[in-house]
Amino acid sequence: MLDVQGLHKVYEGSGRRTEAVRDLTFSVAAGELVCLVGPSGCGKTTLLKCVGGLLAPTAGEVRLAGRPVDGPPPGMAFVFQEYGRSLFPWMRVGQNVELPLKQKRLSRQRRRALVADALESVGLADAAGAYPWQLSGGMQQRVAIARALAYEPEVLLMDEPFAAVDAQTRAELEDLVRRLWRERGITILFVTHDIDEAVYLGERVLVLSASPTVVREQLKVDLPDQRDQLHTRVNPRFAELRTRVYEQVQAAKRGR
Amino acid sequence: MRGSDAALGAAGCAVFVLLGEAVPRLGLVDEDHFPPACRIAGALGRELSDTAFWSALGDTLTGWALGLAIAVSAGVVAGVVISVVPYLREVTASTIEFLRPIPSVALIPLAVLLYGTELRSVLLLVGYAAFWQVLIQVLYGVRDVDPVAEETARSYGLGGWARVRHVLWPTALPYVMTGVRLAAAVALILAVTAELVIGAPGLGARIAVAQTSQAVPEMYALIVVTGVLGLLINVGTRAVERRALAWHQSVRGEVAV
Repeated sequence: MLDVQGLHKVYEGSGRRTEAVRDLTFSVAAGELVCLVGPSGCGKTTLLKCVGGLLAPTAGEVRLAGRPVDGPPPGMAFVFQEYGRSLFPWMRVGQNVELPLKQKRLSRQRRRALVADALESVGLADAAGAYPWQLSGGMQQRVAIARALAYEPEVLLMDEPFAAVDAQTRAELEDLVRRLWRERGITILFVTHDIDEAVYLGERVLVLSASPTVVREQLKVDLPDQRDQLHTRVNPRFAELRTRVYEQVQAAKRGR
Repeated sequence: MRGSDAALGAAGCAVFVLLGEAVPRLGLVDEDHFPPACRIAGALGRELSDTAFWSALGDTLTGWALGLAIAVSAGVVAGVVISVVPYLREVTASTIEFLRPIPSVALIPLAVLLYGTELRSVLLLVGYAAFWQVLIQVLYGVRDVDPVAEETARSYGLGGWARVRHVLWPTALPYVMTGVRLAAAVALILAVTAELVIGAPGLGARIAVAQTSQAVPEMYALIVVTGVLGLLINVGTRAVERRALAWHQSVRGEVAV
């Protein structure tokens, strides 16, 4: 579904040359949930923006379902970390979710159905008329997720979406992502710096090195499909996997 | 709290009027040049029952409104175009910085040369002064676009025009509103100035006539009218601002969640 080949990104500006991503190659199969985890400042966001067509890579290529990505493709939706800035405060929740659909030239009836369905799935069916700033942080991020769902993407890109919410809300939102993924069969690429989150959510975890980024290791998460906060997190296999990822991230930080 | 504020405001106003009555009566200033408040009020009453006054008021408001409308539309369009077209901001920056500080009244001879005492003279002066107020605010406002909002719009396939309409314009709107409020005040000043100096029909011209014919209380009455106009314009633009920006932090205040 998603193929990243030899992705390389260098920022050049004001006489300074920063190599953010050195050489990344990985692929995500259709319907897979892959987590990218790495030390902070390792170019995760740069990588995701290249994948989403928001940044042009210096070299290498990204393919979505076989087609090269050279701009934001219609089959991809993005959920940003900064929900407060990503949702438009001048639009009500329903309008925020509907706006991308208008660009897709869907009929009004279809748009309404998609908006209602998406808000329903994130548990905010009655919030359509509210403004985003009238909602709590966790609810705002749910709205951003609903906007992505209504867009009916083949691939959902999530850039540290829960980094700014409190621990309890984060656990709820993680379960929401797992449930939506299982129900809807969307392909999800989830970037996080939280090791537990990566192991809990992912079918596969890619550990990235420190910047300039390469893939250090790929781990298959062989936990049962049905996961919950209470039992999965005390599962001995979960502990093993998180230890493994933790060691890799620590080693990445030390640059070995 | 609001009620007592209003009461204090009314009391302050009353004291001011009383001073205006007492100071000339006590002989502290020359009554010929500064008539007591009740004589000004009497003159104001006579003005209000004179149809010539109402047509002058209509002329002033026409010049104000048309000039402001031209300035706001031109300022918004120019501001958005300058911001959106690459390099245009850099190319125009120095010219704008040169043209903007030119006082509009310095253009009075030009206006007279071009249009004489017609309405168009007033529109030129009002438009010129008000245009910069709007343009500068639009230029600032457009810069304020949040990169995350912009990237969100791009990632969801919003094209250039859709991004101007749904991201850039709402972001700039609070600035535009400030620009319009400032421009509305400046436009009134320039409308009255143009009438006063050029003699284009309106309240300004009527003030000039009152002055030359020694109708001092009438002159003050007309000045009071221009002041009231300014006040109403400010209240009006603020009301429009609050409605248009109900979603904005400055209006909605902090919401507890």
